[in-house]
Amino acid sequence: MTDLVPLPDPTVHSEAGSSTEEFVAEWRNAAYNCFSSGHKFCREVCPVTQVTRNETWTPTAFHANVVAMEQGDLTIEDVAADYVNCTGCGACELRCPNTLYTGDFYRFRTRTVDLVKGVRALAVENGIHQPGWQRWNELTDQRTHEPVLGEQPVGQDQVRDWADGLNIPIGGENILFVDCEAAFYRTSVPRAVAQMLQLGGYEFGLMQEQWCCGGPAAEMGYVDQAKRFARHNLDNWHASGAKRILVLDPHDYISFTEDYPKYFGAEFDLEVVLVIEIFAEMIRDGRLTPHVPIEKAITYHDPCRLNKRKGIWKEPREILRAIPGLDFKDVDRVTQWSYCSGGGGGLPIEKPELTKRISDVRIGKAAELEVDTLVSACPWSERPLSASGDEQNIDVTDLHELLAESLGITVGGRRGDT
Amino acid sequence: MTVTESLAQHVVDSLVAELAPVLGDEHVLTSKTARWNRARVPAPFPVHRWSERVPDLVVLPASTEEVAHVVRVANKYSVAIVPRDGGTGLTDGAVPERRGIVVDVKRMNQIHEIDLENGTCTVGVGINMLKLNEVLGKHGFIYPDDPASYPCSLIGGRIGTSGWSLVGSRYGHSRDLVLSFDMVLPTGETITVGDGGGQKLTKSSSGYQLKHLFMGHQGTLGIATRATLKLFPKPEAEFSPFWAFADYETAYRAVGALPRAGVATFAGAVLFDEWKVDYLRRDDEAYIPQPSSVKALVCAVAYGNEDEVRAGGRRLMRIARDLGARYLGDEISEGDWAARHDRYATPLHGRTRNGQVAPMSWHCEDAAINYTRLPAVRVAWHGILDRLRRDYDVFDDWGMFAYTSGNTGLDYLTEIDVGIWEQELDDRAWAAWVDAKREIAAVSLAHGGSISACHGSCREGEVDLVPEELGGAYEVMLKIKRALDPNNVMNPGKYGLDRAYRTEDS
Repeated sequence: MTDLVPLPDPTVHSEAGSSTEEFVAEWRNAAYNCFSSGHKFCREVCPVTQVTRNETWTPTAFHANVVAMEQGDLTIEDVAADYVNCTGCGACELRCPNTLYTGDFYRFRTRTVDLVKGVRALAVENGIHQPGWQRWNELTDQRTHEPVLGEQPVGQDQVRDWADGLNIPIGGENILFVDCEAAFYRTSVPRAVAQMLQLGGYEFGLMQEQWCCGGPAAEMGYVDQAKRFARHNLDNWHASGAKRILVLDPHDYISFTEDYPKYFGAEFDLEVVLVIEIFAEMIRDGRLTPHVPIEKAITYHDPCRLNKRKGIWKEPREILRAIPGLDFKDVDRVTQWSYCSGGGGGLPIEKPELTKRISDVRIGKAAELEVDTLVSACPWSERPLSASGDEQNIDVTDLHELLAESLGITVGGRRGDT
Repeated sequence: MTVTESLAQHVVDSLVAELAPVLGDEHVLTSKTARWNRARVPAPFPVHRWSERVPDLVVLPASTEEVAHVVRVANKYSVAIVPRDGGTGLTDGAVPERRGIVVDVKRMNQIHEIDLENGTCTVGVGINMLKLNEVLGKHGFIYPDDPASYPCSLIGGRIGTSGWSLVGSRYGHSRDLVLSFDMVLPTGETITVGDGGGQKLTKSSSGYQLKHLFMGHQGTLGIATRATLKLFPKPEAEFSPFWAFADYETAYRAVGALPRAGVATFAGAVLFDEWKVDYLRRDDEAYIPQPSSVKALVCAVAYGNEDEVRAGGRRLMRIARDLGARYLGDEISEGDWAARHDRYATPLHGRTRNGQVAPMSWHCEDAAINYTRLPAVRVAWHGILDRLRRDYDVFDDWGMFAYTSGNTGLDYLTEIDVGIWEQELDDRAWAAWVDAKREIAAVSLAHGGSISACHGSCREGEVDLVPEELGGAYEVMLKIKRALDPNNVMNPGKYGLDRAYRTEDS
């Protein structure tokens, strides 16, 4: 598909100005690929569509709107608020017949998550703000971290509090980056990760001055802010001689493997490593041996950004199968394309009631398996899932917390409000 | 075609004021995105005319009672109502040709009952078959209604279009699988239709058999809201051989012989003609290439208990082999049949006349044709496409399939797949396409077939020939429509039913 007939210049009638023209020119063919086939396989796997059943908030509608914008029927003002209704999970992209059909041969993948981010950015560029997101990003800008504790302070003075007593150095070649939710809210996760790295003999340090990764700002359309934050982090890593960034949060993993290379090109010369992969390797080669039996009936929640967006599903299962005592009732990764916590893409900030409904559905799936625990590997999923889990009597645990426990580590910290 | 004006704002306001207190504010939508996205279906239409078919408002009811309320309000204001389920149909049933109120039933997707002993389930019509089967599978059941749109179409749309199923030769089609359903009539009353007044019976002989009347009406006779479905044991085994043939004629003989063999587990057979094989070889990179000596393909599928599928499969293999088929092997066979469900989309491109790649979307025209007429229809249809393509370089012939509709080889769904470069589809090309559709339908009728086995025949072009196809029965259709929908509010503009309301003077 390299010799496409040149298409005529798009005729753009939109009032929103040149930014809309550029956006439509960039996305028109991709949008037509969806619009003109119109099959809508994406709908029943979309977490938002599943709970709202509202066709306006479907991945295919997000593409169709671009075609209508090109026709001059819709403007960015008409569509902006609808694009809140996406968690960025990527299920639609996988289930799209265009991906399934040509994907194997061309590595083609329908790009809906990027489209949603693009529309959100276009909205912000045109001065159209969602109030929750606007406030969130203002506070993030003020504090250099997301306001995950509401009015309670988060910032440079607290960003390493989670590591109290662990004697982790600052700087070095390997830097452990801890996302805002884990650093301030679910501190048990980074504590588990850090202590397991120490137990396995993996040298690492913390950043001199860590800022939010900028990923959430990018997802909500605040691209300039996202780039400023990314620039700070990259400069800080370079200044301290970092070569490798260790990541425990799937959202950070997306930021560092997708956004940062786009922002910086070759200047971004660091290796990004997901700690789950390190732990799976350590278990394989005997550096870590889970030995404390954990007598729980569990199932695993594939975090969307690992499973659906990065194809990482094997190592978490490898780790869980290495923990003695677990009754692991697995649900395959493809079935989990239609599962989500509702915690991504800024949805809980703007529409917490929708996030709750999505989490309720996910916990309901776990309840059908008659398990007592749902294990996730994404701090951002764990807050909404825990809230739903409390109502359905299912505990929500992080994979790293569970592995640390089986390694005999007293993790410490707090598991959010639970 | 005249374009209906949008309703005056004060009328929209009045409708919202009547509907919102019953349905809830959040389920009465007037935003532009809500309305534009309910005017979309997969069938091609010139995109620059999208705004002509945008409804005035959209409602998302959650119950039969709420649907009935909407219908009563629409009658009060004489405003058109358009039922919308999955919106995946290919005959524009869900397109609001006269604007008005789109009744989007997707929220009615509950499973109300699974009757394990009688083997039925009762569901809201907004549920999708794949999602339903995820639940039924845990109980050892399957609901085997299996269209190409299986992952996205909804039960209500299957009722409204009287859908056709890929495995219908084994399990029957939607009309056989839907036992009964609740129906809100065009005047707002609710009835239940099905054998014996509509419960869980496959056969009664009491009274008029109204179920078929209320299936396939494309939303012109009301809105189904809740349906009881017939379930089957989840099959233990699937066998899905693919065979290659040196010419169309032999493949044609095979696709007739396979259903006639009387194999109980036989669920369907499909013939790929030479144009289809050429197209797959040319542009379908996902298709495993076959040598140029291969001119046609046939696949079949069997479902059931393992021992029965194994025995039946051996017989099917022998029949094909005796006719000169070359079996393509287990890997291709299993993979390709599995991919059938995902082949609803074809590649994102086709070719212009000089072989240039262009972004094209898939469309297909279908017909119900007797076995003996398939070869002649095929030649005539490709001829129509060839002429169209010569005049307008935005169409591409992607070949034909013929699928068994039943288990005796009597009649087939045959379809011609057409690539359309929609970004370039202007008014002239569109008019030529409509003419071609009319010609395609005329060929079907000339060969004693029906304009559609599957999609319906509501669209511009073919719809002109529906009175010819149905003859005196069409006059009965008009009388039924006028009797049940005195104000012509229920999906007006479809099937030429407006003529039911014409007076002598008009």
